[in-house]
Amino acid sequence: MTPAATPAVSLEELARWFEREHSLDAPWLAEMRRHALAHFRDVGFPTTRQEEWRWTNVAPIAHTRFQSASPADSVEPLRREIFHRMAPYAPRSLGGYEIVFINGVHAPELSTAPAPAIQITTLRNAMARHGEMVRAHLGREALWEQNGFAALNTAGFQDGAFIHVPDGVVVDKPIHLLFFTTAGRAGTPLLVQPRNLVLIGAGARLVLACVYAGQDAAAALTNPVLEMVLGEAAQVELVKLQRESDSAFHVAHEAVRLRAAANLLSLTLNLGGGLVRNNLSVRLDGPGAQATLNGLTLAAARRHVDNHTLLDHACANSTSHELYKYLLAGRAGGVFRGKILVRPGAQKTDARQTSKTILLSDEASMNSQPQLEIYADDVKCTHGSTTGPLDDEQIFYLRSRGIAAVQARTLLTYAFAGDVLQRVRYAPWRQYLEALVAGELNRLHIEKTST
Amino acid sequence: MNIVARCGAAPRTLNNKECLMSLLEIKNLRAAVGGREILKGINLTIGTGQVHAIMGPNGSGKSTLASVLAGRETYEVTGGRVLLNGKNLLELAPEERAGEGVFMAFQYPVEIPGVSTSYFLKTALNAIRKYHAQDELDAMDFLQRIKDKMKLLQMDQSFLNRSVNEGFSGGEKKRNEILQMALLEPRLAIMDETDSGLDIDALKIVADGVNALRGPERAILVVTHYQRLLNYIVPDFVHVLRDGKIIKSGDRNLALELEERGYSWLDGATAAA
Repeated sequence: MTPAATPAVSLEELARWFEREHSLDAPWLAEMRRHALAHFRDVGFPTTRQEEWRWTNVAPIAHTRFQSASPADSVEPLRREIFHRMAPYAPRSLGGYEIVFINGVHAPELSTAPAPAIQITTLRNAMARHGEMVRAHLGREALWEQNGFAALNTAGFQDGAFIHVPDGVVVDKPIHLLFFTTAGRAGTPLLVQPRNLVLIGAGARLVLACVYAGQDAAAALTNPVLEMVLGEAAQVELVKLQRESDSAFHVAHEAVRLRAAANLLSLTLNLGGGLVRNNLSVRLDGPGAQATLNGLTLAAARRHVDNHTLLDHACANSTSHELYKYLLAGRAGGVFRGKILVRPGAQKTDARQTSKTILLSDEASMNSQPQLEIYADDVKCTHGSTTGPLDDEQIFYLRSRGIAAVQARTLLTYAFAGDVLQRVRYAPWRQYLEALVAGELNRLHIEKTST
Repeated sequence: MNIVARCGAAPRTLNNKECLMSLLEIKNLRAAVGGREILKGINLTIGTGQVHAIMGPNGSGKSTLASVLAGRETYEVTGGRVLLNGKNLLELAPEERAGEGVFMAFQYPVEIPGVSTSYFLKTALNAIRKYHAQDELDAMDFLQRIKDKMKLLQMDQSFLNRSVNEGFSGGEKKRNEILQMALLEPRLAIMDETDSGLDIDALKIVADGVNALRGPERAILVVTHYQRLLNYIVPDFVHVLRDGKIIKSGDRNLALELEERGYSWLDGATAAA
């Protein structure tokens, strides 16, 4: 490992925090944490010399001295006050079951009552009451041995959500996990590490949204890990809405396993964050499994947003569709790297991947790379990628009909984004996101024309 | 008022039907793309109520003229002027020209995925209403208005929910252009090779749509390579464009003559203006 990989954050300090905070962990978890910490010490933060990180430089993270968020960063009444400030970021109008975390700490008084027939609780509670179920899955889906950030989360996660939907249960309302982050005491950047575990029984159905939001100047590192397993023929719509502050770091690992005939529809919507990396991997583990991954990124100024996806076709007759779009203004940078892995024997795999980017300024940049590894011979895998400015001919067409230039640009960018949003199946979320994105796009164009 | 089509051929006095005020005046218009001059001094005056046809072989500058009038920015105007109702058109942005009543039916209407035809038409109509300080139409009023226009062009209402021109056949795209023209009620409509790619049935529908919009309040400029379209949209004047200049003008018989004898018949002809 190169010197650049050595994190500025004091590992000894981190280790002491983790050991103190997690002294009550079950022995199996304490063991996993020790291994993860040792692994993180070995590999450190990734550098751009690693293929997986060549377009995303995490040196700003490695050089920041973080403080591990602790309950002291979200005591009452501070917690309630933070929540009120953050209320506009909560999709309250959608009426879901909500679990709220402030600086990584569960806020039960701000969360809604648990739903009947399903378990929605914190990971800490779940470990106390359903230890074996947690033990069977935690750390098994997200491969922390391969990644420093996931190892860091495993070593030091504080809490998160635990959701278990039993076989055949159709959850009547969406579940919303809200993660709100502020600057720590004395303005110190916080290290916030949510860990979420979601187990969906056979034939069960769920709409799950994870909302990450931060206050304007909060320079935190949010380093969440989500592990999710869909039983046979389960159906999940997963919405990730990332609206952290422009000075925030967000590095996420989301790992989903689909059993036979399970269906995942996901949307990753990046509207915030200064340096963002999403790692979303889906393992299609049974015949008929189907994953549809959509993504939309809006970025301006100097923001950098990187989406890495992995579609791991591990058995025959599985399908994946992927559409990631980027609208980049100012000096924003985008990265898309989509890997499709077709394992030996995964015949009749049908995998389609598309990424499209509109660059709204000459200084914005995009790196897009498909990566296909195919070890079966009877498969259908396609990929396509386009990057360019708005189409002058389309703009002229609209203007020639009386529509002002700024309005024409807004209309075209909205159409580009709307193409992704219309794929959200759960209508209240679709409408919520359409309104949200329309507002963000207006802001993007106003910023563009005023600079 | 003695309005004339003053281009190339000897000035010709108009009959009373055509004798209205001049709407468009093009004086010695020159335009270039990438440093290459394409329009080399166009002179043309069009009065309201008139239909003019511009014919010419490929590369003569017909579509360039249409684009320059509509305000396409890929062309650089290097000389001359264009007045619409006395207003300097060349100083206006494309959307302002649309507000002033210029409309170009595109030769290749562009597809706009993700924008419904209905939203597009309503936005365009309201933009032009706003230009004239009129109230915006609400969804109900708009729908009533567009439905009537669609009947005229034999267009099914399902068009409204489709993305603009996306997956439309050639004929559907051209009908959509005329629908926009019918809705926006321009003062100067420019038809850029509207006949290209149309079969005879589609051509008739399009021509009927255009003819329904003929009237004393507007002028129409038809740009075409072939005389075929002019059997259905009968022009008052025909001009022949060659190498960036109008080299001959006449009435509709000139188009018939071109049909019979081809453009080479005019080889060696020079602008007589």
